[in-house]
Amino acid sequence: MKKGIVMLLLLALYCVNYSNAQDNKPSKTQFMVRGYGHSGLDFVNVNGDAESSYVGTAFAPIFMFKHSDKLMFESELEFALEDGKVQVGFEYADVMYIVNDYVTVRAGKFLLPFGTFMEKLHPAWINRLATKPLGFGHGGIAPASGIGLEVRGAFNIGYSKLNYSVYSTNGPRLNLGVDEPEEAGQLIFNNFEDNNNNKAVGGRVGLLPFNNSSVEIGGSFYTGIAGNEEDSLYGNVGAALFAGDFSFVKQVPFLKGIIDVKAQFTQSNVGKANYYELEPGDSIPTKYTFNNQSQAFYAQLSYRPSMLDVKVLKDLEFVGRYSTLNTPEGSVWESQQTQIAIGINYWLTWRSVLKFSYQVTDIVGGHDAVPGESTKITGMYAHWALGF
Amino acid sequence: MKKIMTLAGFGILLAISTSTFTGCATAREAVNNKSGAQIWGENCVRCHNSPSPSVYNDVDWETIGMHMRIRANLTAVQIDKVVEFMQSAN
Repeated sequence: MKKGIVMLLLLALYCVNYSNAQDNKPSKTQFMVRGYGHSGLDFVNVNGDAESSYVGTAFAPIFMFKHSDKLMFESELEFALEDGKVQVGFEYADVMYIVNDYVTVRAGKFLLPFGTFMEKLHPAWINRLATKPLGFGHGGIAPASGIGLEVRGAFNIGYSKLNYSVYSTNGPRLNLGVDEPEEAGQLIFNNFEDNNNNKAVGGRVGLLPFNNSSVEIGGSFYTGIAGNEEDSLYGNVGAALFAGDFSFVKQVPFLKGIIDVKAQFTQSNVGKANYYELEPGDSIPTKYTFNNQSQAFYAQLSYRPSMLDVKVLKDLEFVGRYSTLNTPEGSVWESQQTQIAIGINYWLTWRSVLKFSYQVTDIVGGHDAVPGESTKITGMYAHWALGF
Repeated sequence: MKKIMTLAGFGILLAISTSTFTGCATAREAVNNKSGAQIWGENCVRCHNSPSPSVYNDVDWETIGMHMRIRANLTAVQIDKVVEFMQSAN
């Protein structure tokens, strides 16, 4: 009996020691929660009607599970207060496998490398202004994410670096205007369950010609059938999107700071199709068609005097952005929009920023517009964004 | 005359290939000789401010390194050097 108790005690001691030893060893699997949040105060004036509101209060946790040195899962949710409700967004959830130094495979719902803004620059603590450029977000013409499979990688060519991505997703879905006649002909990118058997194909190639990675020039495409498979009228309506992007970021000693230039041009072409609109007083819808081509562009310049000796000044950042959006002539959502935004940011830490900006948007057309009249929207924004 | 032309052609080809390979070797050396600190300073700032190595622990940097390799399109050599630098400076 005594021997048995001694043996049990020894076994327990061994287990405690073994467990302590295991605690000191770093685990190969790791789970991390990172993400970002933001909140702010907006003053918006639409053709003389002023409104102000505390907005945002968005919380976007990113869950990262590193299974091994080659396998990882990551997902981002976004909780935001919009239209008096808590909106939950499922931004992405994908598994990635590093095949070798030059090839990584991703599967699931991932941010599309179509241009650079939506994949890399949209988080509130990275975006230098409180708003997105025209053409991105709700009513935008550039896709943000897709469900499918992607192969991507990067490698050096001499002093230069080349990165690539090729992917296949469910692709965009054509809005036929059944529920929203004012949006007939727009592309819907949240195509969680494919509306046809055609899979969209896309890709991006980025070239960093200089050894210091200060310049990147990228070209993207995304193409597929957008119409419903079983629909004889729209079954063959395709969509082809192109984007070109540019980035220049460099510390410039004679300017005592960092210059950051970003730009992206996006064009969306959707095949010709007939749509139907019920005019007030009519009982039979009127058939109409249009050349379904949209274009968006933005260029942004920011300067942070990070090399100055005065802390208050070196944490400041000055930003300016110009963006345009032109949607198809003849569509109900036809518009020509131009926006100028300027801002001053104050960096509390490397990932926490106070953003103050002023923005003017001129809109000709749009589905809520009176024909022939333009809309002028001015906005002042004070936002606090934090990456964590 | 033909022989001279052929020899000259071979000579030019040899000169181009030698200079290309030498150029490639020099470029490869320049790329490979870059320190993790240099790569960190040049690449993080392309999207956001460069984080301090002390922000996360060594194990966290492994996970963040893997995430950023994909998001920022960094090469395997680049991210290995950056993670190593962040861990050593932590």
